Amino acid sequence: MSKQVFNKTNIFIAFQYLSARMKQSFLAMIGVMLGVTTFIVMINFMTGVNDFLDDAVFNGSPDIIINASAKKELENISRRTTNLLLDVTKIDNILKGDKNVQSYAHQIISPAILISDAKQFPGSINGVFPAQERNMVDLERRLIKGEGFKSLLEENSILLGVSLAKRLQVEVGDQIEMILPNGKNAALRVAGIFSFGITTIDNVRTYVSAAKLQNLLDQKNGITNVHIKLKDRDDVSLKSYLTENIDGIETEDWKDSNKTIVIGNKVRDILTWSVSLALLLVAGFGIYNILNSTVIQKRKDIAVLKTIGYSSNDVVFIFLVQSIIIGVLGAVFGGLFGYIISYLISTTPLDTSDFIIVDTYPINFKMSYYFLGLSFGILTTVFAGYFPSKKASQVDPVTIIRGI
Amino acid sequence: MILEAQHIDKYFFQPQKHQVLKDVSLIIEEGELVSIYGESGSGKSTLLYVLSTLDTNFEGDLKIKDKDITLITSPELSDFRNKHIGFVYQFHHLLPDFNVLQNVMLPAMKLSQISKEEIKEEALSLLNEVGMKAFATRSSYKLSGGQQQRVAIARALINNPSLIVADEPTGNLDQKNSEVIFELLKEITERRNKSVVIATHNSKIYQSSHRSIEMIDGVLRL
Ligand SMILES: Nc1ncnc2c1ncn2[C@@H]1O[C@H](COP(=O)(O)OP(=O)(O)O)[C@@H](O)[C@H]1O
Ligand SMILES: [Mg+2]
Repeated sequence: MSKQVFNKTNIFIAFQYLSARMKQSFLAMIGVMLGVTTFIVMINFMTGVNDFLDDAVFNGSPDIIINASAKKELENISRRTTNLLLDVTKIDNILKGDKNVQSYAHQIISPAILISDAKQFPGSINGVFPAQERNMVDLERRLIKGEGFKSLLEENSILLGVSLAKRLQVEVGDQIEMILPNGKNAALRVAGIFSFGITTIDNVRTYVSAAKLQNLLDQKNGITNVHIKLKDRDDVSLKSYLTENIDGIETEDWKDSNKTIVIGNKVRDILTWSVSLALLLVAGFGIYNILNSTVIQKRKDIAVLKTIGYSSNDVVFIFLVQSIIIGVLGAVFGGLFGYIISYLISTTPLDTSDFIIVDTYPINFKMSYYFLGLSFGILTTVFAGYFPSKKASQVDPVTIIRGI
Repeated sequence: MILEAQHIDKYFFQPQKHQVLKDVSLIIEEGELVSIYGESGSGKSTLLYVLSTLDTNFEGDLKIKDKDITLITSPELSDFRNKHIGFVYQFHHLLPDFNVLQNVMLPAMKLSQISKEEIKEEALSLLNEVGMKAFATRSSYKLSGGQQQRVAIARALINNPSLIVADEPTGNLDQKNSEVIFELLKEITERRNKSVVIATHNSKIYQSSHRSIEMIDGVLRL
């Protein structure tokens, strides 16, 4: 019976051939390593950015926003400074009956001018109901200083986005003044400062108590917006259902409001996969070349091995093992370097850009990416090694020995 | 009886169909040294490849050690060759990436019936017998032709095969070296009572064989 091809002797022979071509083998290994390293660094970084943006944007803003449509505004402009929703009860009933709604919250939103001792800025003031809003936005996690929504139970409190607070040069505990479009004003105490890491939010967002804002605007129970969080964010059928069934509203879903981010995520995904696969392909080609030239150079040796009793399967194994060794070493070192480089990037301070606000680059450290990168590296080499190995096993000893 | 070949015909189809072995029958007894001589192109190598199981594309019957070779499948044939047949070629065919000792050990490592240590011992004692023990750790490609052929003889014997096949083993050596190598091969195989079949041009060799047969145009003149 033919013995197992996986044995010490065949592995010994494979190592002997590898070490006889140390430099080439080493370069091939470096090739695989670069492929795997790049894959891991890129995927760690790209998905890090994606997840960061997803988290910041989607947790910072609702999946569907309902507000009153512009047409209504024209009719009512003389009477109202804010654009109120008329059929809030009807909206609530629909939302309560929809299985895909995770939670929703009412808001009254109004433009205002914020004045600190040092500066003044226009802003958009979100009047929220703390008990509802808590289910929509995890503000505790976003707090830099002070308190979250519960501080709004105190009617004269305001929560500020970090960039806005900086521009107003205020700290938690400071007083600011708010002037509304109807001329009313109020002195508010900064109770908390938060950051979503997204400039567009941190620059403008403020929270005050809805009751306070309703009072100031003379709109008892007035609501301008309903914010909805969905269980399955990809199913936004609720949006069209709402517009069809309720007059005078406009709706917007997360895809509308975050088009650039959705596209950006896709672009990053495509970039990661295409660059990594291209590099692995190049690495695989390197291995293919080396083994192929080894097989051509070593036809005589292969013929001799066959005459002294090594079978075709032994020969396949001997050559395949060489590419597996190159692949495994390359993949393992690639994983290691990938981790090191990712770690270094994750500790690199990042100058806050116009778009996102973070201290260091967002990096995703997921085990599954290492598993994926390593498997890709090893698979590539096995695949690249198979054809030369098969070719080696098909060497006909008689032809070779005769042809010397 | 170690080997029994009956009515072997062998054709090549390039450039056109032609018969290279014509009704060849041959019996080799245990301990017998048989040489086959004849003009270049008469079919000696072709016959040796058939007898050594490397070439299975022939018509006729071939039995080695009472085993019908025509019935054995490829991977088992490798094992059979490994265990029962030793090769010495005209060109020395040592593996350049392995040292002398490793070259001798390779067939036994394939067989792996004894431990690597025992194989090493066996290989060293064979190298000693062919006068190459001092070169055990040398790279094989740095040796002279005669030295390489000594190592090849040691390699052919390591698995204690029943049959040694040698295709012009001295064809690449000068007259003096040829005689030395042939004497070595003869002596070492006689001591072990091995059967040997040699294809050769060298009259000294076929004159000092136990039996020599001329091959003319694919026919053995018994
Ligand atoms: N692969 C082959 N294809 C076609 N003809 C071959 C092949 N190998 C050998 N021959 C022919 O077979 C004949 C015998 O060759 P060979 O056995 O090498 O002779 P010898 O060893 O006696 O010199 C020669 O005519 C040679 O040209
Ligand atoms: Mg010949």
